[in-house]
Order: sequence, then C-alpha cells, then structure tokens
Amino acid sequence: MSGVQPLPGSFRDPSGNVYQVEGRILRTVNECFSQDFDFVTSTGLLKSLAAEGLLLPFEFVSSDILKLSDPKPRYVLETPRLPFISFPYEWSFSALKAAALLHVRIHLQALEVGVTLSDASAYNIQFQGNHPVFIDHLSFRRYQSGEMWVGHRQFCEQFLNPLLLRAFFGISHNAWYRGTQEGITTGEIRRLLKWRHYWKWNVLTHVVLQDLFQKTSTTHTKSLQDHSLATASFPLSSFKHMLKKMSSWISQLTPLNKGESTWGDYDKTCSYSSIETKSKKQFILEFAQKVQPTLLWDFGCNTGEYSETALEGGARYVVGFDFDQGALDRSYHRASERRLSFQALFMDAANPSPNQGWNGLERESLQSRASADAVFALALVHHLAIARNIPLVQVVNWLISLAPQGVIEFVPKNDPMVQELLSLRQDIFPDYTFENFIALLKEKAVVVKIETVSKSGRMLVWFTRM
Amino acid sequence: MRLLGNVLVVSIILVVFGFENSALAYLDPGTGSMVLQLLLGGIAGAAVILKLYWRRFVGLFRGHAREESEHSSSEDQK
Repeated sequence: MSGVQPLPGSFRDPSGNVYQVEGRILRTVNECFSQDFDFVTSTGLLKSLAAEGLLLPFEFVSSDILKLSDPKPRYVLETPRLPFISFPYEWSFSALKAAALLHVRIHLQALEVGVTLSDASAYNIQFQGNHPVFIDHLSFRRYQSGEMWVGHRQFCEQFLNPLLLRAFFGISHNAWYRGTQEGITTGEIRRLLKWRHYWKWNVLTHVVLQDLFQKTSTTHTKSLQDHSLATASFPLSSFKHMLKKMSSWISQLTPLNKGESTWGDYDKTCSYSSIETKSKKQFILEFAQKVQPTLLWDFGCNTGEYSETALEGGARYVVGFDFDQGALDRSYHRASERRLSFQALFMDAANPSPNQGWNGLERESLQSRASADAVFALALVHHLAIARNIPLVQVVNWLISLAPQGVIEFVPKNDPMVQELLSLRQDIFPDYTFENFIALLKEKAVVVKIETVSKSGRMLVWFTRM
Repeated sequence: MRLLGNVLVVSIILVVFGFENSALAYLDPGTGSMVLQLLLGGIAGAAVILKLYWRRFVGLFRGHAREESEHSSSEDQK
C-alpha cells in the first residue's frame, strides 16, 4: 500500500478503511465489497437513512486524493466531519441506550429493503449533541435469505449487557467498558444475575441461554461443524421479531439507582444563590460572546447549565465532562429537551481517557482526539487539588494545556464545599490560595478578567494562554 | 443447568441442518448466539424436537432407546 495511511482504529473490516486527509474524512470501499455496496446504494436505503438524520450523509469523491495503489479502492466516500468523536465508555446510560435503539431501528429499516448489518459495534455510532448517528456505511450489505443476526453477540456485549449492568445492579458501565473496550460479555453478566432475573423471558434468552449455549457448544464443536452451524437458517420473520423485542426491552430499561447521585441535583442544592448564579452566567455569556469557540470543553459540567449558557453566548459545540451518572443523565435530557449542541460524557478529570486498544492507538486519548478552542473548569480545581491531592501547579498547567483560553472558577478554602472536603482530613494544602493560584496561572497565561461571584469569595478567572 | 444446555444444543443441531444459507461475515457471531437464534427461529421446529424426544421416551419403555435415538438422528441428517 502506498499513499495516505488509514486511521489507526480502522483495520477490522476488509471492506474498506477510514482516512483523514487535510481535515477531510474519507472512507474507502474496496473491490471485494463493491458488489454489496452497489446493491445497498441501489436500494436507496443509505439516502433515506441520511435524510432522516440516522446515518451520516456521504458523497462520492475521486480516489486520487488518497494516492492508493494496492489495493486501489473501488469508491471513496467523503462524510462530514463530526464536531467530536466519543466512545461508548464515555457515554452516559441514556446515550448508550439511544445508540442501542438507533442501531436496532436502522437494522429493521435495512431488512425491509433486503439489506442487513454485518456487525453491531457501538463504535459505529457517534453523537451530534444528544442525537446519535450511524457512521459506518460499510456495515450495510445484502441480506441473504435465512441468515442470522450476525452481530447479535456483539450487540449484547457492546450495548445490552452494559445497560443491564446499570439497570439491574446500579453499576455504571463506563469503567468496565473502558477496561475491555469491547463491552461486557454475556458470561460476565450472567454470573451477576440473581434468580429473580431468570424468569424474565428476555434475560432467559439473551443472557442465560446464550451463555449456556456458548459454554456447552464447545463440547459439541464437531457436531456443530458437521451440521454447518455457520450456514444454518434463521427465518426473516424471526429475525425481525427478535430485533423488535430487543428494541422494546431496551427502551424500557432505566437506571436502578437514580436517586443516589451526588451531583445530579447540584443545580438545585448548590451553595449559590440565584443572584450569584446570575452573575456567574453573565460572566460565562460575555466570555462566549467574545471568544465564539467552535469547540468548548466544560470539565465538571454537572447538569450542563453553564454549557447551555455558553451556547447561548455563541459557542458552537460544547462537550461536557463529569463522572457523576445522575448529572450526566440530566445533562443528556437537558440537551434533548432544548435541542442543544451539547454532549455530556463520562470522564474523571484526574483520569481522562487514554490512548488504548490495539497498538495503543486504536482509541485515541481525549487530548489527541481533538483540540478545544476554549475550556471551562467551574468549581473543579478544589476537587483535583484537595480531594485528589494533585499539586495546584499541575492542575493549573493541565487546564492551560487543554485550550488557548478559558474560564476557571476558584473556590476558596472557607467555602462550604471545600470545608466539606477537608472535614475528615488534615489540611495539607497551605498553597491552596487564590493568590498562589493566580501567580501560577500568570506564569503561562494572561488574565483577561477576574470577578467575585459568591459571598464565600468564589472567583471566576478568564485566561488566555501565552 | 449444564445438562439442560447440552440437551438443548444437541436438539437444536438435530433440527436445523435442513435449512441452510451461505452468508458468512467477517465477524464471529459466536456459537452461543447462533444456537440461541436457531432456538428462537426454530419454534416451528419445536414439534420436531418433541417428536424426537417422544420417540426416545417411548424407546425407553421398549428397551432399545439407543437404537431409536441413532435411527432418528441418521434420519434427520438426510
């Protein structure tokens, strides 16, 4: 192969690859897949899905741009560049559920025109705000009479089981999913089940029986081969029924421990008065109006209240990060209700998503994935510097490294929230003062504006990197 | 539970091989998922399974269950 190299995460499917050339996103369709692709496009499915906003639209472009000779692609498709790429281990329960439902919906629509999906990878779905969109045009291929739902196991591992983890046991999927990258196996979920779960037909079939068959079938391998299990038949009506039942089940799943969120009600219970909130919002609004960031990262976004303010001010797209599931779910619903270009992701600022996967490059870290034009760290610094013992200088330098400008809220030690953090431990943070914070910030940035926004002395600082 | 799994897997194998297609994907669907789908899709084949076990059951009383079982298996494979 010569010319441009495919993106590091694009290697599993021989049908084609994804490339990035001068900021353009290009997807090749290799000769081996061209017949299937021709059939799929002839059905009009891709166009109709794109028109409904369920699939990323594409255009055919000349293959010369890639300078590929071996193999020379049959087609090259160009798709719009998404504002931000996220991974399922960063999604909230609500987002993963929406992605799962989209996948099934698309599969059902595809089957209506004789097309099926060749896999069920959650990584084939991305978000624009809270709106999920399917991005892999090469997952579609001609349906052959009697074939099975090939991606069923993958669907269970990457969508269903992570949702069940939260719905049945109140455990969020993020850390586990980030560890495995491929989701949660059916065997693992089955081992967690209580007997009370067994009587549900969906659990019995998709979890218990699937796992049982997987385990016992290893003892019947020869028999399975002899009887051509790989080419056994599955009626189309059963296929569709299975997808519909799956969709219906997933749409009813809700988190088990909705009420246990620390920060989900923060905007109702926080220590700000309405006047203080108003002045904080005014500061944010002014920043957004002046800077007009294309991509803003809001670390510790909570329920997305200030992300929304930034959007009102002129930010084009905001990605919020938080590790509280309740806050993330509320952020998701805020974005849904008000149709915001806002996406809230699970992220611990002290442990952001790293480079990982095959060769350490398959799934990029947060900072190598995108560059933000601006960053917010509102009431975050004390969580890192005090609750997590990260030296203040490192916190400040990290925030400055994230974006060329931003707003940081410094919460002083006498604030009730900091006092709570220190209530059961020794105060080993003599350098945690506003003066020290500003001095550290000024080593690498220019302070544009400072404002006190609460009675306890919380300070908002607008900075621009030097 | 494992015994139940064995019985079901064998039963499903016995009733599916008459219906074949040639679609293979780059993704390994997993035998557990495939056998499950054969079960879900093979509700129509349930009658065949019941018939099979009925023969075995009757065979037990006749004292030559093994022969019956082998006979029915080879018949199904045609």
